[in-house]
Amino acid sequence: MTLSTSGGKADYQGRLIALMAAALACLFVLSLFIGSNPIPVLTAALDAAGDTQSVIALILTEVRLPRALIALVAGATLGVCGASMQGLLQNPLASPGLVGSASGAALGASLALYSGVAASFWLALPAGGMIGSLLATLLVYTLAGRAAGTATLILAGVAVNSIALSLISLLINLAPSPYAVREIVLWMLGSLANHSMGDFWILLPGSLLGWMLLAGTGRSLDALTLGEETAHTLGVNLDRLRWRIFFAVALAVGSAVSITGAIGFIGLVTPHLLRPLVGFQPGRLLPVSALGGAILLLCADIGVRLFPAGTEIKVGVLTSLVGAPFFLFLIVKSRRWQI
Amino acid sequence: MTAQLDAGILSYECNAPVRFLLLISCLLLFPVRAADPPSRVVSINLCSDQLLLMLARPEQIASVSRMSLEPNSSFMAGSAANYPPNDAMIEQLLGLNPDLVLASEFSPHPVIRILRHLGYRVETLPLSSNLEDIRRNIRHTAALLGAGDKGERLVAEMDRRLQRVAPTSAEARPSALFYQPRGYTSGLDTLQHAALVLAGWRNLSAEQGIRGYGAIDLETLLLAQPQQLFSSAYAPGTDSLAQRQMHHPALNWITQGRPIIDIPYSYWICGGPMIADAVEALAKARLDPSHHTSGNKHP
Repeated sequence: MTLSTSGGKADYQGRLIALMAAALACLFVLSLFIGSNPIPVLTAALDAAGDTQSVIALILTEVRLPRALIALVAGATLGVCGASMQGLLQNPLASPGLVGSASGAALGASLALYSGVAASFWLALPAGGMIGSLLATLLVYTLAGRAAGTATLILAGVAVNSIALSLISLLINLAPSPYAVREIVLWMLGSLANHSMGDFWILLPGSLLGWMLLAGTGRSLDALTLGEETAHTLGVNLDRLRWRIFFAVALAVGSAVSITGAIGFIGLVTPHLLRPLVGFQPGRLLPVSALGGAILLLCADIGVRLFPAGTEIKVGVLTSLVGAPFFLFLIVKSRRWQI
Repeated sequence: MTAQLDAGILSYECNAPVRFLLLISCLLLFPVRAADPPSRVVSINLCSDQLLLMLARPEQIASVSRMSLEPNSSFMAGSAANYPPNDAMIEQLLGLNPDLVLASEFSPHPVIRILRHLGYRVETLPLSSNLEDIRRNIRHTAALLGAGDKGERLVAEMDRRLQRVAPTSAEARPSALFYQPRGYTSGLDTLQHAALVLAGWRNLSAEQGIRGYGAIDLETLLLAQPQQLFSSAYAPGTDSLAQRQMHHPALNWITQGRPIIDIPYSYWICGGPMIADAVEALAKARLDPSHHTSGNKHP
């Protein structure tokens, strides 16, 4: 690799990020224009900016804006966490949804919620999600072992996901709130509807912390592609890297899931779609996956709002509908490699 | 001995006109006997529980369903505590040996079928979605229990209370709707709709074309601009994501800071004369002066 090509690469990476950021900005604005009722968004924006109190301004700032912001942050979290886990575990099927981080977070958050702890202080709900996420991820990692093959990792993930989901069902059946019963769908599939700016502020700190922790791992992940031994000689402390990524994923995914529920497949699909664009380098994949995850989730959320079903479908239904066939495609592809 | 038996059979066979008379008298007698008020009434549904507790003499009541003891759901929880509760389990019901079982249309069908098959008398009450349904159910239950006068008194008292708080035609009708966790609301053909209208409110959910209990989208709700939101919490003091949506700041803004008024769920989980309590609470909220001063500030 010569200096000039590496300079070209940085240039290319910069252009790619700028392009994706522009696409993301367009989708974000578009998402503000789409809702169950057509409202004059520009007038609403002027009203909101000019401190004129109007219903359309309220819909824009208190209903659509938090929804778009939450989609953006949660999508970015899922994308970047998927990319870093695939890099760390050297496994194309690692992602928050598959290795238990998301279902563990859902279990932790619902435990905090239905036990009444979440009502005591605002951080309790995302903290429950974070702890659940960390424990579930560690459990999968321990079950599968350090140099786990794809199949072992998936099996361990399936087992932990099943345990988490059955415990959520049990919890919901025992919950004192009669409204809890139907929330199992939300914890399994995720939804971005009817959130307020308050929910966004709950989501944000953990997500930012997680992203910042992940931001510094790019070089180590790049080194890891050369093998653990080589990475070690290059000065990568693998134990520290592992803990750092697990912890970051727990912070970010725990916060996201405790607000939106477990939205499937964004974390799995995003890195795969974008890996060819960054020359298969995990380090460069991280920021691109964050943008890509946000783009995908915003697209999915716009999709469910346009979907003519009469009543609104959950965003996780759409991501799973698109993501599950992709998952099958990955399996078929990996089979071909083995043969 | 055999001769006697033969004679008996002979006389039995020969007296066809006597048998016919016996049959006629049976047919005539049975309705009279059925009109005797039942003395061991078992109710297996919250709605029939409450009407039974209001209408029957205490010694007529053999058992009420366990649900009627639950104060958030049951208006009659206090007096229900005086009777043995049942769980609508078939073995338990047989042990009570009822001469009348009261149930709802939606009580478990296998239980009703088995009871009827075994020869027990089961009466099912339809659900109420308006005032006329409530009057009909009160009168019907009262007739079953042989308490027709008490039923009429209950209906008259309810109508008198409703009349007292009814709006005059000159009064403006402010707009409102019911908003429950998960965005559920009450449209046409619900007791909440009937009560809102009786108390002098416009039900915006009905105006949005919602029939029965349905979900209303948050944006649609805000665009409809209700002056007051009501809710009827099922389980106060519990927490869930659905209940958290009730604290959305936009809801507070649209009603100009007026908090969501909670009307006890026990007033209308079942149709009964307690609907008057709900209508009185809704009418009291309407007469709150803040609606008239700030009702239509924003266009």
